[in-house]
Amino acid sequence: MASVTSTVGATPRLAAATGLQTRRLVMAHIWVAIAAFGVACLLGVWQMWARSPLQAPAHTAANYFRSVTLHGVSMAFVLTTFFIMGFGYYVAETSLKRPLPGIGLAWAAFWMGIVGVLMAALSVISGNASVLFTFYPPLTATPWFYVGLVLVVVASWIWCILMILAMRDWRRANAPRPVPLAMFATTANAVMWLWTTVGVAAELLFQVMPAAFGWSQMVDVGLSRTLFSWTLHAIVYFWLFPSYIAFYTMFPRAAGGRLYSDTMGRLAFVLFLLYSLPVGLHHLFMDPEHSNGFKFLQMFLTALVSVPTLLTVFTITASAEIAGRMRGGKGLFGWIGALPWERPMVLATGLAFVMLFWGGGGGLVNMSYGMNAMIHNTSWVTAHFHLIFGGTVVIMYQAICYSIWPSLTGRNFPNTKPLQVQLWLWFIGMMVMTLPWHWLGLQGQWRRVAAFDYSNPIIHPWGPWVVVSLIGGVILAFSAFLFLFNLAALHRRGIAGAPATIEYARAVHEPDRVPSSLNGFGLWNILVALLMLLAYGWPIAQFFVYPPPQAMVHRLG
Amino acid sequence: MANEPVEKPPERSAIDRPWRMRATAIVVTAVAAGSLIGFVIIPAGQKSGAHLSMGHAMERAAGLEPGSPAVPQPLNTATSTPVSTVSWSPEVLKILASGRSRLGAQIAAQTCAACHGDKGLSPTTGAAPGGPIFPSLAGQSSYAIYKQLHDFQSGARVNPQMSAIAQTLAPADLANVAAYYADASKEYAAIGSRELLGEPDTEKLANEGDSHRRLPACLACHINNSGGPIETPVITGQSEEYLLKQLNDFASGNRKNDVYGRMRDVASKLTPEERTALARYFQGTL
Repeated sequence: MASVTSTVGATPRLAAATGLQTRRLVMAHIWVAIAAFGVACLLGVWQMWARSPLQAPAHTAANYFRSVTLHGVSMAFVLTTFFIMGFGYYVAETSLKRPLPGIGLAWAAFWMGIVGVLMAALSVISGNASVLFTFYPPLTATPWFYVGLVLVVVASWIWCILMILAMRDWRRANAPRPVPLAMFATTANAVMWLWTTVGVAAELLFQVMPAAFGWSQMVDVGLSRTLFSWTLHAIVYFWLFPSYIAFYTMFPRAAGGRLYSDTMGRLAFVLFLLYSLPVGLHHLFMDPEHSNGFKFLQMFLTALVSVPTLLTVFTITASAEIAGRMRGGKGLFGWIGALPWERPMVLATGLAFVMLFWGGGGGLVNMSYGMNAMIHNTSWVTAHFHLIFGGTVVIMYQAICYSIWPSLTGRNFPNTKPLQVQLWLWFIGMMVMTLPWHWLGLQGQWRRVAAFDYSNPIIHPWGPWVVVSLIGGVILAFSAFLFLFNLAALHRRGIAGAPATIEYARAVHEPDRVPSSLNGFGLWNILVALLMLLAYGWPIAQFFVYPPPQAMVHRLG
Repeated sequence: MANEPVEKPPERSAIDRPWRMRATAIVVTAVAAGSLIGFVIIPAGQKSGAHLSMGHAMERAAGLEPGSPAVPQPLNTATSTPVSTVSWSPEVLKILASGRSRLGAQIAAQTCAACHGDKGLSPTTGAAPGGPIFPSLAGQSSYAIYKQLHDFQSGARVNPQMSAIAQTLAPADLANVAAYYADASKEYAAIGSRELLGEPDTEKLANEGDSHRRLPACLACHINNSGGPIETPVITGQSEEYLLKQLNDFASGNRKNDVYGRMRDVASKLTPEERTALARYFQGTL
C-alpha cells in the first residue's frame, strides 16, 4: 500500500514508459479477443431469440447458421487464441522477469492472425461459410474461410515456439532452479497445443481444403471426423489452461494466502497434457466408423481427465482455507466467509468453481458411453460446453484481465464494485441460460437447429424454458458490455500509479528443486506419443487398410 | 566447492528416476486396464447375446470385423409407390458432364419445342386461364432437367404426354437435352430477370419463410447457386397457372417425386390463398 500511495502523483505516461516490454503486444492481443467476444455475445442473444417462440427480426435459417458460425468462430477461435497468446506473452515476461525472445516475430504472428481473422469473418458474413465452427465434411465452406483459420493457427504455432524458447532460455540461465509455475503451465499449454493441432491440420490440409478448392470431389467422412476428434477435446483444455493458471498462481495471492502445493500444480498441468489428447473418440460414440473397444478405451482415458480437475479443486480449496484462516476464519466453514470476496479474482474463482461443478457433472454424463445415447446432439451438450467455456473459461479470462490491466495501463481501479457486479451478472446469466438447456436436452431438444415448430404439441411446452434461456442471454450480453466498459474506462479514469508488473502466488513450501520431469516436457512428450499411438493408431489406420466408400463434397460458396 | 558438481548429478537422477518410472507405470497401467475391459471383458459379456465366439467378439471390439452378423428380416410384399430414383452419384454426374448442347439442340427442336417453345421459352407463359400450360425450360440447371426427365421415365412423376416422351430418350439423350437448356441462360434472362412484386406477407414467405411453421424461404433453394439441393429448378418467370398447379399437386399428394417429400411438406403447410399469391408472385411482371 505504501508504494501505491507514494506514486499516486506520477503521470500515467511515466508509468507506461517504464513498464513492460510486451505491454502493447499484450493489449493488442487481448483487445482483439475482447472485440470478438462482444460481437459474439450479441449474436448469441439473437440466436436464443430466434429459437424462442418470440418473433425475432431477420430470422431465416440461412441467417441463423451464418450467425451461429460467426458466434462459434469468434468465441472458440478468435477470443481464445488471441487471449491465450497475449496472456502467454505477459506471463513469459512477468514470471521469468526477462525480456521475451523474438518480440518482432510475436508482432508478425499477431498481424498474420489479424489477416486470418478478417478472411474468415468476411467469408462467414458473405454467407459463403455457414458451416459452424466444426470441420465436418462433406459440407465445405469457401476456401478463404479455411485459409484464414490456417493463418490463425500458424500464428498460434509461432506463439508456441516463442513460449518454449522463453522457458528454455530461462532454464539455461537459472539451472537448477525450477521454472516458475505460471510459465511451466503456459509452456505445457504450448506443447499440448502443438500436439492438438496436428489432427485438425491434417484434416484441413489433406481433406477439407482440397475439397473446398475443388481439387477433390469425394471425401472420407469417417476419417475427417476422426482427425477432428483428435483436436476437439484437447482444444477445450487449451482454452481452459489460462483459467487454471489463474487458479494456481493468481487466486491464492489475491485471497491473501499461499498456494497449498506447487508440485500438485505441476502434476495437474502435466496430466492435462497427457490425458486431454487420446480421448477425442468420446465425441464419436454414436458414429459407426469406430469399434466398441476403442470407444471404451478412450472413454476410460477420458475419465482420467477428471483427475487433474479434482486435484485442482482440492489444492485451490486448501489454498483458500489457508488464506481464510490467516484472515481469522474459524471453525469448519468459517474460513469461507473470511475470504476477501470483494476482490474480482477471488469472486471469479468461487463462481467458476460452481459453474465447473455443473458443467463437469454434465460432461461426465456426456462421456459415459451409455448415458451419451440419451443426450447426444441435444441442448444438454450445448449447456455443458457453455458452462465450461462460457462459464469457467470466460469468467476467469475476465478476472485475469482485471488483475493484469492495472499493470498494463499503469492505473488502478478506483472502485471494484462494477467489477463485482459484472462477474455476478455473468454467473447469473450463464446459470439462467444453461439450466433450462439441460432440462430441455433431457426432453430431446435438438442442438444446431434454426427454429422450433411451437405448434407441435410435443414442442409447445419447451417455449417458456427457451424464453428463460433468452433472458439469461440478455443478462450475459449486459455483463459483457459492462466488462468492456470496465476495462476501457480504466485507460482514462483509473488512478495512476499502478506497478508495471504483478507478483504471482508463492507456495507454502517453495521448491528450490523439482524432479526434471516436473521441470520440462521430454518424458511427457514420449508418453503422449505412446498414448496417441495406442488410442488413435488403429482407428486412423483402418481407413487406409480398408478404405470405406466416400461421400460427395457439398460446397458452400 | 570442487566436490559439488560431482555430487549433484547422482542426487538429481535419484529424484528423477522414480518419477519417470512411476509416471510410465501409471500410464501403461491405465491403458492396460482400459484395454482389458474394452477389448476382453466387454466382448466376453456381449458374445452370447450377439451369437459370436469369443474370438469374433474380440475382433469386433477391436474394429477388425464389422458389427453383429445381419439378422434376416421378414420380407415386405407390399407394392410401393414409385419414388424418385435419381441419386447424384459420380456416375450420374459423369454422364451429365458429358452432355453436348449441340446434340441436345436437335432433340429439343424435334421433340420439345412444340410445347416448351423455341429455345425453351414456353409460348404459354402468361397464357389465359384454362389454356394448356407448359413450363419454360431455358435456364434450368442440367440437374433439374435430368431429374424431371428421369422421374417421368421411372414413373415417379406422371404426365400423359411427358411420361411417353421421356420413355424414348436414352441416358445420353437426357444429358444432351439437359446441357442444351442449361446453356440457354441468355434466353432465360428474358423471364428470369422480371421484377417480383407482391404483398409483404408473400414477399416474406419467398425471401424468409416462416420459422414458426418450419417453412423455409422459397428462394433459399429456387434460385441458381443457392446452395440447396442441386436438382432444384429455378421458378422465377414460370407461368402463374403452372406454378399453382404444381403447388396444389404437391399439397394434395398428386405429385410426389420430391426428395424427402420436401415440397409436399411445404405446399401442404401453405394456405390455398398463399399458394395462389406465391404463384402470381413468381410469375413476375415485365
